[in-house]
Amino acid sequence: MKRKNLRKKIGVSLLALTMTAGLLAGCKDKDSASAPEDAGGIQTAEGEKVFYYGDTTFNAENDESDVNPHNGYSGWACIRYGIGETLFRYTDSMESEPWLATEYKNVDENTWEITLRDGVTFTSGRAMDAAAVKECLDHLVEVHERAGGDLKIQEVTADGLTLTIRTEEPVPALINYLAEPYGCIIDMEAGIGEDGNVSGTGPYRATLVETDKGLTLVKNENYWDGMPHLDTIYVRTISDGDTMTMAMQSGELDGAYGLPYASLPLFESAPYSISSCETSRSFFGAMNYETEALQDANVRRAIAGAIDRENFTKVLMNGNGSPAVGPFPASFPFGDSTVTAQSFDLEVSKTLLAEAGWTDTDGDGYVDKNGQKLTLRWLTYPSRQELPLLAESVQATMKEIGIDLQVNCTANHLDFVASGDWDIYASAFVTAPTGDPEFFFTTHCLDASSKNRGGYHSEELEALEEQMSRTFDAKERAELATKMTQVILDDNSFVFASHLRMSIVSGEGVTGLVAHPCDYYEITAELDKN
Amino acid sequence: MKKYTGKRLLQLIPILFGITLLSFLLMNTGTADVIDVMESNSGGVMSEEEKDVLRAELGLDKPLVQQYAVWLGKVLRGDMGKSFVSGQPVFTTFLSRLPATIYLTITSILLTVFLSVPLGILSAVKQNRLTDYIIRFFSFIGNSLPNFFVSLLLIYFFSLKLNLLPVMGNTAGWKSVILPTLTLALSMASRYTRQVRATVLEELNKDYVQGARARGIKEKRILYFSVLRASMLTIVTLLALSIGSLLGGTAIVESIFMWDGVGKMAVDAITMRDYPMIQVYVIWMAIIYVCVNLFTDILYHYLDPRIRLGQEDA
Repeated sequence: MKRKNLRKKIGVSLLALTMTAGLLAGCKDKDSASAPEDAGGIQTAEGEKVFYYGDTTFNAENDESDVNPHNGYSGWACIRYGIGETLFRYTDSMESEPWLATEYKNVDENTWEITLRDGVTFTSGRAMDAAAVKECLDHLVEVHERAGGDLKIQEVTADGLTLTIRTEEPVPALINYLAEPYGCIIDMEAGIGEDGNVSGTGPYRATLVETDKGLTLVKNENYWDGMPHLDTIYVRTISDGDTMTMAMQSGELDGAYGLPYASLPLFESAPYSISSCETSRSFFGAMNYETEALQDANVRRAIAGAIDRENFTKVLMNGNGSPAVGPFPASFPFGDSTVTAQSFDLEVSKTLLAEAGWTDTDGDGYVDKNGQKLTLRWLTYPSRQELPLLAESVQATMKEIGIDLQVNCTANHLDFVASGDWDIYASAFVTAPTGDPEFFFTTHCLDASSKNRGGYHSEELEALEEQMSRTFDAKERAELATKMTQVILDDNSFVFASHLRMSIVSGEGVTGLVAHPCDYYEITAELDKN
Repeated sequence: MKKYTGKRLLQLIPILFGITLLSFLLMNTGTADVIDVMESNSGGVMSEEEKDVLRAELGLDKPLVQQYAVWLGKVLRGDMGKSFVSGQPVFTTFLSRLPATIYLTITSILLTVFLSVPLGILSAVKQNRLTDYIIRFFSFIGNSLPNFFVSLLLIYFFSLKLNLLPVMGNTAGWKSVILPTLTLALSMASRYTRQVRATVLEELNKDYVQGARARGIKEKRILYFSVLRASMLTIVTLLALSIGSLLGGTAIVESIFMWDGVGKMAVDAITMRDYPMIQVYVIWMAIIYVCVNLFTDILYHYLDPRIRLGQEDA
């Protein structure tokens, strides 16, 4: 009897378990019914062009939780996936050129008159005119801390297609800032959806926005700059590099951005193609001026001369980067070709250390002074795949000149930065996201810079920045940037290792997926798949 | 039974209070908070003033104890709060991830049981014969391979070479669950096969089996109605632990297969110091472990009535 009961109970439990599994399986199938099955066997209307794009960046962790340009860094997603466009955009040499605008002029230091392009409509159907742009910019500076601080807009006035911006103080880089992704022009009458969806002017509009998962885009039939080629684009957020690699190989993806360097050789030959471009994302170390040894200019020079940039970029980064001299790549008018830094020479570094009083007196292979070995703490973090490699490379070369470099590569790096338990802090940073050089100096190198973590101070640099803040002419700004870069390089307050080469992989039959020095323009009207 | 169950569930209250307080304090041991992490991840720059405004909006400017008290007060009123990172209600986000985790847990456990129980019994019955050696060899291999490696191997063969299954999960209906299930089940089944074998062997050597044999009871009957039932206690304990662990999510497998479960959500939340999200996860983990253990204890009683529930009351 007892056995019967037990059997019955087990039977009922199994049945319940199976039914739950079936129910959940049913739910899953239902959930995925709106999504395609896979790239190869997708259920689509005849002749419909569907594109699958794998990306690592669309997630809340990057402050890109949706496509609303007025929310954190979500503007990057808005512009990258072809939903929004800005009044101005960056050329391949990161200079600004009109996009939704056609021209601008400085009425005076604080007043800018911008003429808008005629015939542009939002995906909501509303025509884009100065009144619509004013609504958008007013909302932007009201809710977006960073935009408010950059643009310093006092008042915007609208008259037909003429927009007049008056700033609180001279903002020489205003046009560059307007080309920043937060400057995507969206229809505020259509509003911002609960899921963070917006109505822009780009070649595609989002029909589904799922934080951390991806987006579904459909073509904007009324796009002002030609008919987009693709009917539907599925953007997938893929955090694992190997998964993205194999999804690309299996044909589940048509294009991918953010593949690991080690995977790129797999896509070098047909049917794949790779579009690469040097960017202003730089990998560099900042010296901590609180560290006694690093207060000696010769020690800083010795360290700068012991970083093997060529080897790091060619071997460890598989050629996916270029050796850096300063913060900006050579393609910029104020980039690496205009400045010089301490070159890699271990013998010179050894001599410099000896001049600073650091010699190996006890024969243990490390230099010492007053009985103290020269030990430095190199702080970095693992989320950028290049940084641990850089740490290893520098550790090896430092050993050759007698410096004991202790690497601390941790996701908790910000705690160490705050506590001051570091001597050199290596990080990655986009040094010129708007194509203008001032940003890097104001954020990293001045007394008031929030990221001047090492406490660097230079009277000369402060004076040059004062001049830069009042200079409107792009050529003059470039010359000033060159001088400022040379100051920090001469002081060796920062040592620059490399600039990132960004690569986008296209699958069979894909055209128009082209890398740009800033990763703002990926999905465009030119993107096609045949 | 009802009294016992009620008592066990009541124990949840101090457990939940204790672990949420502990996790809250531990997460606040670092000096960097979610604002610092988001600034770092976005690659942008915020001034200290901007950061302070955001901290005040999230309530991070208040003393720790006050932050916890505010959170607890809201929870008691049924408001689990919003994610510091995405701004979405954490409970809704958590619930949206839960079906995927439960789905994967059920499929993995079922496959594990279907693989490990018959193979374990077979291995025990055929002790030190070729079948036993083969099963033990493969269970050794399965035990030795880490999940991420197994998943990459499976993707390589089933997706790239044979083109049978999709690489990315949650996009192709039922086909998506096959590879993550196989990854989890192969590893668990390898472990359990050995456990089942050892338990069954131990039972087979007991006196009651000898006695049954001496009475002329058929070997199959002894195996299925006596030995297997006695072995179930060990198997059920192991399965309960695995179910608890699987319901907590499997961050690595979820990341590799893009399976949208609670494991990856929890790891991301910890990385970002997204306290409200972490707390929801911690509460979930406490509930599932208490409930799974309770369910296991009740099942023990049914499997072996000699085991009394709530013996401490006696």
